[in-house]
Amino acid sequence: MTAPLLDVRNLVKRYPVRGGVFARKRGEVHAVEDVSFFIEKGETLGLVGESGCGKSTLGRAIIRLEDATSGSITFDGEDLLALPSRELFDRRRHLQMIFQDPYSSLNPRMTVGEIVREPLIIHRSGSRREQHEEVSALLEKVGMKAEMIDRYPHEFSGGQRQRIGIARALALKPSFIIADEPISALDVSVQAQVLNLMVSLQRELNLTYLFISHDLTVVEYISDRIAVMYLGRIVEIGPTHVIFNSPAHPYTRSLIDAAPVRDPRLRGIAEPIRGETPSPINPPPGCTFHPRCPFAIPRCREVVPPLESHETSGHRVACIRKDEIVGELKRPMAVSASD
Amino acid sequence: MSFFRLDPITRKRIRRFRQQRIGFYALILLSLMTIASLFSNFIANNRAIAVRYEGEWYFPTFKFHPSSTFKQEDPYGDSEADYRLLAKSAEGTGNWVLMPPIQFNPYENDFDFYDDPPPHPPDKRHLLGTDDKGRDVFARLLYGLRISMLFSLMLVLLGTIIGVAVGSAQGYFAGWFDLLSQRVIEIWSTLPLLYVVVLLGTMFRPTFFMLLFILLLFQWYSITYYMRTELYREKSREYVQAARSMGASHFRIIFRHLLPNAIVPIVTFTPFAVVGGIFLLTALDYLGYGLPAPTPSWGQLIDQALESSNRGKLWLSLSPFCAITTTLVLVTLIGEGIREAFDPKPWSQYR
Repeated sequence: MTAPLLDVRNLVKRYPVRGGVFARKRGEVHAVEDVSFFIEKGETLGLVGESGCGKSTLGRAIIRLEDATSGSITFDGEDLLALPSRELFDRRRHLQMIFQDPYSSLNPRMTVGEIVREPLIIHRSGSRREQHEEVSALLEKVGMKAEMIDRYPHEFSGGQRQRIGIARALALKPSFIIADEPISALDVSVQAQVLNLMVSLQRELNLTYLFISHDLTVVEYISDRIAVMYLGRIVEIGPTHVIFNSPAHPYTRSLIDAAPVRDPRLRGIAEPIRGETPSPINPPPGCTFHPRCPFAIPRCREVVPPLESHETSGHRVACIRKDEIVGELKRPMAVSASD
Repeated sequence: MSFFRLDPITRKRIRRFRQQRIGFYALILLSLMTIASLFSNFIANNRAIAVRYEGEWYFPTFKFHPSSTFKQEDPYGDSEADYRLLAKSAEGTGNWVLMPPIQFNPYENDFDFYDDPPPHPPDKRHLLGTDDKGRDVFARLLYGLRISMLFSLMLVLLGTIIGVAVGSAQGYFAGWFDLLSQRVIEIWSTLPLLYVVVLLGTMFRPTFFMLLFILLLFQWYSITYYMRTELYREKSREYVQAARSMGASHFRIIFRHLLPNAIVPIVTFTPFAVVGGIFLLTALDYLGYGLPAPTPSWGQLIDQALESSNRGKLWLSLSPFCAITTTLVLVTLIGEGIREAFDPKPWSQYR
């Protein structure tokens, strides 16, 4: 087996909480805690979790929009965190990002052509004329007309704007794209179009995606594998069908049960998840999920559960009781993975 | 360059500004006044604009010609030609003199024509009368507008450049730099302008540029508050993060992305800042701590008018008063028009 395209090891990102006249450090937000995972070339890893669980911070740390506190991010054989800035700049063309909000992710004072062309200008790729042709080709690739090149973002709908954002991300022919909730700000009717565009672009250009979302059904549709995050940690990771058919972490189970179901008769019998997400400034000791977990035992507040292999290959779970509660979690699925 | 290119938002604002006719006309009027004052030398001057004398052309506006050039009688030998006299004597000789509409410059003491001492009330010779040194009031108003307008525009321009640079750096780089520089600005801004100017004015005789520099020390920081918060807000928007994730340089992010989005609303402050500069200079001139003595200025005229020996000589106080009022009204109308053009709610109009 060749080395994965992206290999994240023990990544930690903490934000200092400051206050007072001289901005003393008062505490830390544990945004990302000891996260390790890898992504193979050409696959899509879906990253799900509640809002505030650190999934966006993780994506932003990989693309170096945030500086990680510790850990390593190996992309295509090179540690992004250790690269000097000049080489990091050259690497950036292979890593691009699609942003969540199509209204604020495009500069309102630049034309569509200027927006899509900007990465080419920054990386001095091709002559003026070549860049112009490239921009037209990119716009057509994402399903826009090349005549729209001189229009401004405010003249477009959310879905079209997101297509422009995708065209911009593709401009440098990247191999890896981080999509941070790319469709959650769109109308439901447009979501499917943009999602299908991303799928067909992946096939055409052999792209690798890290797809961040809080919407399980979307992640299920696009992902080869899924990672579930809770309070800065990955609690479960594995192939999509395994996560959906036999989740081994109680949090994953409750997430799946919480997803809306088309037919009320199929609604899960599980109780909705209890309580509030704890503060990431003072996360609970041991397993961070134990205050809300129906299967918690006293030992859960003492040890941080390691992410360990479970039953199927590639399936890893961070729960000390995973083998005991297997039966409890394997109830008939409320939503079948195929419908 | 895209920095000044008119994107649709700016174009819409300009269109809306023009639709508020009053503000638009006020801008035209004030611009005409300013442009006219820039050409003061051709409007109020004791030198002719053009002279045709014995087959030769002369343009003496910016050039000294001794009286001997035009064969004028001259008891001193090398004093300047008297063009008013030349214009009179030229009639019917084939020579020809084009005088400015106001035939006096603002420094000239017109004593010889009158029997009584100045100030003289308005008459045909001096439309707005003369001041207590026999100088033409209209000429002094016009030159005073020019010097205070130029002074104020330079003050606002330099102050804006420094303020935008510092405020942007604070907002963009944030952290310790922001924390420290903001404290420095807060302490600096508690210095009382008037006391410092009076103090420096007693130590030095301020020149134009020295006064500009002193006032600049108190002018630049007001815009930093605005730019600082504006950049804090803009830089967290996703389009800036998109640029960063592509590897755009700080320079590119600031000048291509942040400033075009943050700087435009500064336009709304500018008219009020300019008029503020004019009045500050007028006030300092009035107090005697402004520009040095012979410089024509509105404040100096008001100071004269309020002297006890000049009580009741209304032309001395009314003319600078009208000039100041007109400028204030025009600038307020312009500012209001710009504010309305920038208002995102089109229905909240004040008329």
